[in-house]
Parts: sequence; C-alpha cells; structure tokens
Amino acid sequence: MRIDKTHRKWLAASLIILGIATAVYIPYAYRSPHGPKGDSAIGLTFGVIGSVFMIFAGLLAGRKKVPVWRLGKAQSWMRGHLWLGLLSLPIILFHAGFRFGGPLTTALLVLAIIVVASGVFGAVLQNYLPKAMTAEVPSETIYEQIGHVRTQLIVEADELVASTESQGTSGDAAPLSNFYRRDMRPFLRSNGKKHELLSYPDRAHSAFEGLRVLVSAEIQEITKRLEQICEEERQLRRQVFLHQWLHAWLLMHVPLSFALLVLGCVHALVAWRY
Amino acid sequence: MSAAGLVELTIDGKKVSVPAGTSVFDAARMNDIAIPTLCHQQNETPVGVCRLCVVDVGARVFTASCVRPVEPGMVVDTSSEKVRRTRSTLVEMLMADHPSPCARQRLSGDCELEALAKQENITQPRYSRRISDRTKDDSSMSIAVDFEACILCDRCIRGCSEIRENFVLGRTGKGTHAGIAFDNNDPMGESSCVSCGECMVSCPTGALTNKGMVKTALGAGPEFEAVTPEELQQLSVFKGVSGTFLRLNRGAIVKRRFKAGQAICREGEYGSTAFYILEGRAQVTISTPMAHVKTSGIRKFIGKLSSSLAQRSRDRREEEADQRWIPIDAPMDLNYDNPVAQLQAGDMFGEMTCMSLYPRSATVRAETDCVMLEMLRNVLDIMQRNKNFRAHLDKSYRQRALDSHLRSVPVFAELTDEFIGSLRQTVELVRYSPGHVICRQGDPADSFYLVRVGFVKVSQTHPGGEMVLAYLSRGDYFGETGLLAGDVRTATCTALDHVELVRIGTEDFNRMMTQFPAVRRKLETVEHDRAEMNRERLSVVQSVPLDSFLAQGLMEAQSLLLLDLNSCTRCDACVRACADAHDGITRLIREGLRFDHYLVATSCRQCLDPLCMVGCPVGSIRRRNSLEVIIEDWCIGCGLCAENCPYGNINLHPFNVIADDPAHPGRKIAMVKQKATSCDLCHDLAEPSCVYACPHDAAHRVDPRKFFANLLGVAPGIAQKP
Repeated sequence: MRIDKTHRKWLAASLIILGIATAVYIPYAYRSPHGPKGDSAIGLTFGVIGSVFMIFAGLLAGRKKVPVWRLGKAQSWMRGHLWLGLLSLPIILFHAGFRFGGPLTTALLVLAIIVVASGVFGAVLQNYLPKAMTAEVPSETIYEQIGHVRTQLIVEADELVASTESQGTSGDAAPLSNFYRRDMRPFLRSNGKKHELLSYPDRAHSAFEGLRVLVSAEIQEITKRLEQICEEERQLRRQVFLHQWLHAWLLMHVPLSFALLVLGCVHALVAWRY
Repeated sequence: MSAAGLVELTIDGKKVSVPAGTSVFDAARMNDIAIPTLCHQQNETPVGVCRLCVVDVGARVFTASCVRPVEPGMVVDTSSEKVRRTRSTLVEMLMADHPSPCARQRLSGDCELEALAKQENITQPRYSRRISDRTKDDSSMSIAVDFEACILCDRCIRGCSEIRENFVLGRTGKGTHAGIAFDNNDPMGESSCVSCGECMVSCPTGALTNKGMVKTALGAGPEFEAVTPEELQQLSVFKGVSGTFLRLNRGAIVKRRFKAGQAICREGEYGSTAFYILEGRAQVTISTPMAHVKTSGIRKFIGKLSSSLAQRSRDRREEEADQRWIPIDAPMDLNYDNPVAQLQAGDMFGEMTCMSLYPRSATVRAETDCVMLEMLRNVLDIMQRNKNFRAHLDKSYRQRALDSHLRSVPVFAELTDEFIGSLRQTVELVRYSPGHVICRQGDPADSFYLVRVGFVKVSQTHPGGEMVLAYLSRGDYFGETGLLAGDVRTATCTALDHVELVRIGTEDFNRMMTQFPAVRRKLETVEHDRAEMNRERLSVVQSVPLDSFLAQGLMEAQSLLLLDLNSCTRCDACVRACADAHDGITRLIREGLRFDHYLVATSCRQCLDPLCMVGCPVGSIRRRNSLEVIIEDWCIGCGLCAENCPYGNINLHPFNVIADDPAHPGRKIAMVKQKATSCDLCHDLAEPSCVYACPHDAAHRVDPRKFFANLLGVAPGIAQKP
C-alpha cells in the first residue's frame, strides 16, 4: 500500500499512542526496583495491548478471505494492519522491558522483529514497485496470462519468418532466418533466461540495426515487428521480475506472522499458568 | 384476302395463309421458317429495336418482320444475300460492345447474341469497343446486372411491365449513354424490384443473370421435403411470385412436417430461416424463467453473496410495473404474466432471424401435427415484396397483433377498443432496408411510428458531428416530439437492419391526442424527459476537450472502474471479490485501456450509446430513465448482447432450473439456463464489491466527466472548443 498523505491520521494516532506508551514506560522502568518486567501490571498491560495489535494485524488474512462481507473496507483493515502492526513492536518491547528472556520469549521477540521488518520491507516495495511496473512495463498483462502471451508471440514470430522464406527471396531473407533461429527463437523460448544480446535493449537494437542493413526493403516491416516482439518479451520478463519481488516477501512474512501468533498464544498460556 | 379473314402471301417462295393482323415474323414461324431475332419474344409486344429480323418485302428498305403485319400478296424474302449480310453486320456491331463470353454464356452457354455470332462465324468484330460508364450492379440479392452486356433489346422492360406489371424497369439516357434503369436509376437492390426474375428470364444475353442460388439446399434428409414451384404457386400467398424464380431457387424453400409436441425452434438458437404455417397449430412461448438475476446475502453484513433468479414478487422494480408484453419475432407479442401464444395456419414467424440473423426469440412447438414451409432469406425477401403476401401479413397483423402491439406500449394502455378498431384500417405498415433513413432531422413531422420489427437508430446532428441518442426496438416508438410541437423532426431515424414500422398519420395522431388527454400528458412527459436526457448528453460531449484518447469511447461511459496502477499491487482482490459477489463468475477483468497511470478495467461502463442493446430478439436489455443499462428478466440467454458489447463486459451466467423436457413433452428435467449479466454496481450493497475489497485504495468507480475534467483541470459543464 502506498504511504501517502491519506495516512496522516493513522500516523498521528500511532505517534500519540507511542508517545503515551513511552511516557508511561519511562517512569515505570526508572522506578522498578529490578527493572521493568512483563508480569508487572504495567508490563502485562503492554503485553495485552501489543498482543491485541498483533491479533488485529493477523486478522487481515481472514478479512481478505471474505472480501464481500461488510466488515469494514479492506483499505481500512490494511491501514490498521500496517500501523498497529508497526506499533505492536515497541509496545511488546515495553512489555519485555527490552530483555529477551528465556528461549520462548527470545524466539518470540526475534520473530516479532523479523515479521515487522519484513512488513516494513513489503510496505516499501509496495510503495515503489507498482509505480516502477507502470512506467517500465507499458505492455503489462495479467500475470497468469504471461505464459499464454509468450506462446502467442512465438507463434507470431514463427509465422512472420516463415512468410519471408516462402516469398522466394531466399537470398534476402537468409540473414533474418539465421538470426531468428540462432538468437531470437531461443530467446523467446528460454522462459526468462538471459540472452547475451536480446536481453539488453541497446544490444538488441544494435543487432536489429545490423540486420536491417542486410535484408531487403520488402521485409523491413517484418524485421521491425520482430524487434517489437523482442521488446514485448523483455517487458514480460521485467513484469515477472517485479511481480515476484512485489509478492515474494509475503512468503516469509505470512508464515512467520502465523508462527508469531501461535507462539504468542503459547507464551500467554504458559505465563498465565505458571 | 381469302375467306375467313386469312391473308395469303409468299415467304421464301412458299405460299402461305395466315390470319389477318399476323406479323411477318409470326407468319414465317407458323410455317417453320425461322427468322433470327433478339428483341422479340412471343409473350411480349414486339417493338422492332434489334432489326435482326429484317426481311425483304420488296419495299425501298428492309422491314422488321416482328412489327410488320402481313399484307395480301406480299412477297417476303427472309434469307437473301443482302438480308443475310445486313444481319451479319448487325450482329458484328452488337458483338463489338459485348463482353464475350458474358455471364450467361459462361454459366449456361446459351447467350442468344453469342449463338448468333457463332452462326455468322463472327469471332473478332472489326469495330472498336464502346467505352461505357456503367459496368455492373451487384446490389440485388438474386440478380446480377452487367450493363456492358445489355443490347437494349427492351425485353426486360416489357417483361417487368407487361407480364409482371411491376413497372420497375425503364430506359435512361440518350445515344451511347442509353441504358436500362431501375426506378429513378437506383441500384437494383435498392429499387422497388421484387426479384421476380422475369427480366432475367427475358434477357437474351448475360446482362441480367441469376446470382447462383440454383444449387441452394436448405437441408438434407427425409424431414426436408422438396416442394415444386407449381405447388407453391397454388398457395394464395405465392400468387405473383415468379415461377422462374421459384424454379431457380428450388432448394431454398422446403416443406417440413412436425408431429404434435415436436419443437420447431428453440429460443436463443441461431438460425437463418423463417417458417410459414400451412396446416396445424403451434404454441410459441419463452421457457426461460421470468426472473431477474439478483445477488443477495444470507444476512445483511455477513454471509456469502450469491446470485439467484428472483421472481418479480421478490425483486420489484418500479419501472417494470407497466411492462406487460414481451416483444418476439412472431405476429404477436407474449403476455408477460403468461408468455404463451398460438400460431395458426397462415402465420409466419422467424422473420427477424431469417432477414437479420438474430437468435430465435421464443420456443415454438407444434400443438397439433403441422405442415410448414421453411425458407431462406432470398425467398422471404421476395415474398415480403410480393403484394399478395404483404397484404396477407398486413391483414393478419391488423386483426391479431395491432391491438396488443399498441397496448404493449405503456403510454397507450388506455386507448379504447373502439379507437384501436378505427386505427386498424388506417395505419400503414412500412418496411425499410438496412441503412435507410426513415425521417431526417429538420423535415416536417407528418407521422408517428411504432417499431414492429428490427432496430432503429435515433441520432442528432450537431456542429461537432453525429450524436446517437437511442436505439429503438419492437415496442418502442418515435415521431411524437415533432407532432406534439407541430413542428419539424428533432432527430434523424435510420433503420439499422430490416425494419417494419406501424405508421400512424398526423390526422389519427391528433385525433388520439384530442380524445385521450391522459395519453397526451404521458407522451408530453416522455418527450420532456427525452429532451432533458439529450441536453445532458450534449453537455457531456461539449464539456471536456475531446482528447484523442478520450475519444476512444471513455466519454461514452457513465461509470468507469479505474485502477490506479501506481497503487495497485496486482493482488486481484477486486476480481476475487467480484467473483465472490456473483456466484464465482467475475464481471470484471483487470485488463483494458490505459490512461496515464490509470487502467480502465473491463467492466460495464453504462454507455450512453449502448451497442449491447442492438439486436436483442426479445428487447430485454434496455435503459432505465437514469440511462442505466439493465437486463430484463425475460432474457433468453442467446448471448447476442455479449457479442455486441465492444468491451467484452457482458457475460452469460448459468443457472440450474427445472424446465420442460424438450424431448418428452409434459415432463420436467433439470437443465442449465443462461442469462446475460453485466456489472450491476452491486446495487444490493452500499458500494461495489471490487472497490470495497481493494486493500490498497487503487480501485475507484468514477463518473468520467467529472474525473477527467478534474484531471485535465477543466470545470465540468463548461463548453470547450475541441
């Protein structure tokens, strides 16, 4: 989600909450004889608040599963997830008194830091990558359709080259055919693997410029279209790259968040019981 | 002269006696002496234009034997050396301008001129070819015209006038520019030509030839019975249709027999034929459930939304309260509450499917054993132009359908039976071909029209160009604005396909307005609302600069779904939400035009010029007064609107229903019925689901006028020069 001026209210509220929490924590920590503890009244309060924030943040996954239910706009949930999720870390640190404690609490704190950090990382990616994708991939298509579009490009390129060969001007078409078979077709079929020439716009352009000199005037248009096909393939590759970055971080963030919530429940149970 | 009115003369040394008044040509023919000719036919008045039949009667000049009556003691030489040389020169001159081999010679090898040329051993004429400014006319569906092959024999003109009495063909031009013409030199397909084929049969050359319908075969199998032209001509509705045409198009009309209970055609199926009932009765009905597609939740805020079919009692829509008739492609409309009607001997159905290739609008099933004629478009076209058939259909319409047709228009629901009875004989049924202008903006208003068949485009011309205001189909009407104001037409109405209109003249219209003030008030209200809508429409066109991108159709929209690509993470939450809200079938695709960093998603735009509406066989896709496009609950799921939508925004939604088993009448089976659906803006909910479910504030439903005006820094509603 883009963090822009529409987040001002959330930012303000978060800062206020953080300010209040800090204002409560500092004297509490200063006055505690053995240092701030999680099981003290204030420590527990911080723990509960932090947990509530985490649980709310975790509920976003559930909210997304029922997009049509009128439980508040998804946008509001996402903002809440972002800000309350971010706030949960300092609150939990206040609860822990900035100490790692035993194995469980250490694991919890480490998980919390990783989850929040990955969340911040994801937020940063979501802030910049959509704009990059819009600018760099004007031929963007639906991600799941990329394979199909690639197949269509290959078929079109095959037909274009076949048409030059069937025209009978084999002498003129030979450089194009050779280039296509040796370089372009493997590039189109390589499913994203780098090609020393065609993966780079300037090198590809030079290659096609050289080709245009060798072929006749009748097949200049075909050469131009083949160059466009290469450009479309490069854009698809760029789209795949950006799309994976835009979504891959979730592969870490979501399972670790789930683990955090589960371990958090265990910690609460253990702390209450023992 | 001998006794009994006979005239004695000598032809080629042979003494003959023929009745007085016989032409020399006929006298020779009666005595087995052949005189070549091109312009003369036995069943036509001789005119003597080709001069090939010239004979030597001992006069100063040769005489055309076809127009010269015999005289007592006449001595006729039909084959002297000089006569033969004259004929040969004439043939050679005609061949010089003839596009040999002509179409007739190529098709059937019997061009009379080329046969004569062969007889005279003329292979290469000595004369140069005339440069003609008229070549071919392919506008007729059944006859090809090649003006270069025409030898101006006039046979076609006489065939059209004397034999068929259609008076379509005539002469035009003078000297080397002379030629045959249809009506006022119109293309044949646009003239009043009824395609009887008489001219084609009369023509001695390839100037008028059949367009190759000869090998038509409507269907194979025992259920398609061949029917001879003689049998057809026994039927009163085929009286006047050329036997030659029927012979040449033998396979284009067949006899079909249906057992009681058998389905003849089913709603939504595509076809290309029309049916004429000879014997028996058939039932016409719409079997698709009369219900809206309604999306609703189990509880108000929690519960999966699902799409179901909702009867009117569950989904009341105010503007449908007056809707009582469903327009179909048959002589009558179906009553909404009981969509069943009967067809009987003498009825024709399926005309729109046949002429304009629309899907079948209803299911027709034989109630008793039936015998029908099934025909292709070329035959129906001729029948529709035939006076006898038209009179028969008109009479049937006036007696059976005019009443319900008029009453199907809510504004006329209050007309009395007496008034409708008086209209019965005065209304005129008029037909228009595709593209024909019915009335022009600015012309004096002289008629009120009801649409009986087909689609009419209503448009206005403005300095910036043409603006489409509406598409009208069966049950709609136009022409009242000009008549109410006593002024001129405010819009141009054009036939989009084969259109039939009921024309009510000014006198009857004014009488209706005087006798029924309530009807007048309703019409004035409708007229006022239309004028408001048109003004608003015009302001849309004028308020934003017509950037070339916007001209791609975005300003035609009233509601666009825009995705801000700088915020969108391509998570597809919008698409999933739409699918969840509509039984798993999304009405939105995250693909489409781009403008700056916005994507115009593929989702119904509520277009001001809704092309989806054109062609609906039952008129179920229409526009509310708010210009929102809705799909009525008698949609038969044919899918034509989905094909017509240029943006792919209409889908077919399958529903499981229990319906009549087509194979076993009287039994019910579970089947899947389709209904067309498009984005309904989740009108059951406060906000569209796609917008509601977007976590990144990227999806927005906008009014393009306001949105693009803001974007371009222009205040909406202020006229701008493009």
